[in-house]
Amino acid sequence: MQTSEIKYTVPKSIKKDTVFTFCPGCDHGVALRLVAEVLDELNLREKSVAIASSGCSVLLYDFLDVDCIESPHGRACAVATGVKRAHKANGSDKFVFTYQGDGDFASIGLGESLHSALRGENITAICINNTNYGMTGGQMGPTSAMGQITTTSPTGRNKEYHGFPIKTAEHIALCDGVSYSARVALYDIKNIINAKKTIKKAFEYQLEGLGFSFIEILSSCPTNWKLSPSEAHKKIENELTKTYPIKVFKDIKETPNV
Amino acid sequence: MSEKELLKGNIAIARSALAAGCSCYFGYPITPQTEIGEFLSYEMPKRKLAYVCAESEIGAINMALGASATGAKVMVSSSSCAVSLMQEALSYIASDELPVVLVNVMRAGPGQGHIYPSQGDYNQAVIGGGNGDYKTIVLAPSSVQECVDMTFRAFYLSQKYRNPVILLLDGMLGQMAEPAIIKDNPYPETDNSSWVLNGANQRPAREIRSLEPNQNKLIRHIYEMNKKYKALEANETDWEEYQTQDADFILTAFGTMARSAKAVCNYYREKGIKCGLFRPKTLYPFPFERLRELTKTTKKFIDIEMNMGQMLRDVRLSILSNVQISFIGKPVGDWLSESEMIGAIDNIIKDCYANI
Ligand SMILES: Cc1ncc(C[n+]2csc(CCOP(=O)(O)OP(=O)(O)O)c2C)c(N)n1
Ligand code: SF4
Repeated sequence: MQTSEIKYTVPKSIKKDTVFTFCPGCDHGVALRLVAEVLDELNLREKSVAIASSGCSVLLYDFLDVDCIESPHGRACAVATGVKRAHKANGSDKFVFTYQGDGDFASIGLGESLHSALRGENITAICINNTNYGMTGGQMGPTSAMGQITTTSPTGRNKEYHGFPIKTAEHIALCDGVSYSARVALYDIKNIINAKKTIKKAFEYQLEGLGFSFIEILSSCPTNWKLSPSEAHKKIENELTKTYPIKVFKDIKETPNV
Repeated sequence: MSEKELLKGNIAIARSALAAGCSCYFGYPITPQTEIGEFLSYEMPKRKLAYVCAESEIGAINMALGASATGAKVMVSSSSCAVSLMQEALSYIASDELPVVLVNVMRAGPGQGHIYPSQGDYNQAVIGGGNGDYKTIVLAPSSVQECVDMTFRAFYLSQKYRNPVILLLDGMLGQMAEPAIIKDNPYPETDNSSWVLNGANQRPAREIRSLEPNQNKLIRHIYEMNKKYKALEANETDWEEYQTQDADFILTAFGTMARSAKAVCNYYREKGIKCGLFRPKTLYPFPFERLRELTKTTKKFIDIEMNMGQMLRDVRLSILSNVQISFIGKPVGDWLSESEMIGAIDNIIKDCYANI
C-alpha cells in the first residue's frame, strides 16, 4: 500500500518556527503567507522593508523574515514614503510595502493613504478589510457594512447614526498616481489563487516603477463576527461581496491615465 | 562658503541642514517657518535629495520616522500649533531611538494663537508633548550664527544618541537677518550600519518597533533609554554665562530674550550695579548643576521669558531655598523690550540699591 506524502514548506520570507498568533480561522494568516510566497518568488526578501501598523497586523515583524518598521496607527503609507524616498536619495532602490488593517488605512490614516496614492509613491499597500476594528475587540469601522452589528453599533450600522461604509479600492483607483488597485478575497481556493496573482502583480508594478499599487483583501474576523471560520467565509461569499465586489478597479497597463 | 553673509534665521537653518548632510526634508506650510521648506523645495530636488510637500504635519513627521530608519539625516520644520500634531510620532521616534531633527520656530499660542513670536512651547519641547517616559534633546539658539551652529549640532547629537532633537527658536529669530558664517560640518559622521533598515541581505532581518507586549522587555528598554539620558545630561549640557562671577543678581533667559537681557546687564554694569546673565543653550539637558552652584554666591535671580513662566520651573528646581526668584514675562510680542525689562527689574531690586 502506498502512503501519500504531505509536503508542507514554509516560505523563506517567513521566520523559522513561526506560529501565527492570530485567532483560529483568521484570514490574516493566509494573507501573510501569500505575501511571503510572492516575496520569495520575486526574490525580494533581501531588498524589502515592510511597514507594520497598529491593529492585528502589527506583529508582522514577528512573522516575516524581512526588515520591518512599525508605524503609528494609520500612518503606514507616510512611513513607507519616508523609507522609499530616503533610500532613493541615497541612490538605492528598496522594495517597500505596508500591511495594514482597514481601520488603519481607510479611517484614521485615510489622509496619509490617499495622498500617498495621489503622489504616486512607488510603494505597495495591502489593506486587510475585515469590516471592523479587530484588535480592539470588533468596533464599527469605516468598512462595516450597512446593518452590521458590532460592539459600537449594537443595533446594526444605519445611515441615520453612522452613515455609509467606504469602498476603499474603488476610491484609490480614482487617483492618478495609482498603477493598480484591486479587491480580492480568501474564502475559497479559487479566490486564494487569484489573491496571490493579484499581490504578485501589485508587487511587480512597484518593481517596474509604475507608482502606487494597492490590494484590498476582504478577510474574515471570526472572533469578532462571532462566527465559526467556515460561517465567516460564507458570510464573505454571500453577503460582503455584494458591498465589496471582487474586482480589479484600475490597471494602468490596460487603462492608462489620460 | 565660510564667508560672512547677511542671513535670515530660517534660511540659515535650511542651508546649514544641507551642509550637515541632510538628505530628507518633509514639511507643511506654517508661518513663521515657511521659508525653510520653500528654500529646500528649490535646493533639494536639484541635488536629487528627498523633499515631500506632506499632506499634513502628521504625514511629515511620519515620513521622517520612516526615512530616519534608513539612517538618513532627516529634518522637519514647523511651528507651535502644528508641532502639536507631531507629538504622537515624536514619542514613537524617541521610543524607536531614531535620529530626527525637528525645528520649531515658535509662534504665539495656545491653539492657533497668532504668528507673533513667542517662547510658549518650552514646556512642550522640554517636558514632552507626547506620551510615555522619553526625552527630547532641545537646543535654543539666540542668534543667526547659533541657528547655523546648532543645526549642525542637532544632526550630530541626533545621530550620536539616536534621539530626536528639537531646535527651538521664536519667530523673531526665524525671520530676522544678521551676519553669520556657514562653515563646513565640524562633526564626525556616526556609524549606523548596525541598525538601519536596508533589506536583510547577508544578515538577519531587523525590526524597529514600538509595541512591546513583553512587559519585562519594555521595562528594560525604558531603563536603557534612561541610561542614554543620563549620559546626555553628563556630557551635552551647554550654557553661556555673562558677568556672573561677582553678580548681586543674575538674569536667566534663553533664545532671543537672552539678547535683550545681555543689553540690560550692560546697562546695570554701567551704573555700577552688578548684574549677570545665565543662558541655557541646551534646554534639555538643562544646566541644573551649574545654576545651583551659582546660587551659593548669588542670592537673587530674575527669570525673563516671552511666555508666562515656563523655564521658570526649571530655574526654581535648580535653586536652593534661601534664594529669591522673580519673574518677568510677556506671553507674546515683537519683543520684550530692554526698557520694559529695566522697568520691571528696577522694581524688583529697588530696595537694595539707592542709585536707581
Ligand atoms: C492613535 C491610536 N488610536 C487608537 C489606537 C488603538 N487601536 C489599536 S489597533 C486599533 C484598531 C485596528 O483596526 P484595523 O486597522 O481595522 O485592523 P485589524 O485589527 O482589524 O486588523 C485601534 C483602534 C492606537 N493604537 N492608536
Ligand atoms: S481579532 Fe479578528 S482580525 Fe484579529 S486576529 Fe482575531 S480573527 Fe483575526
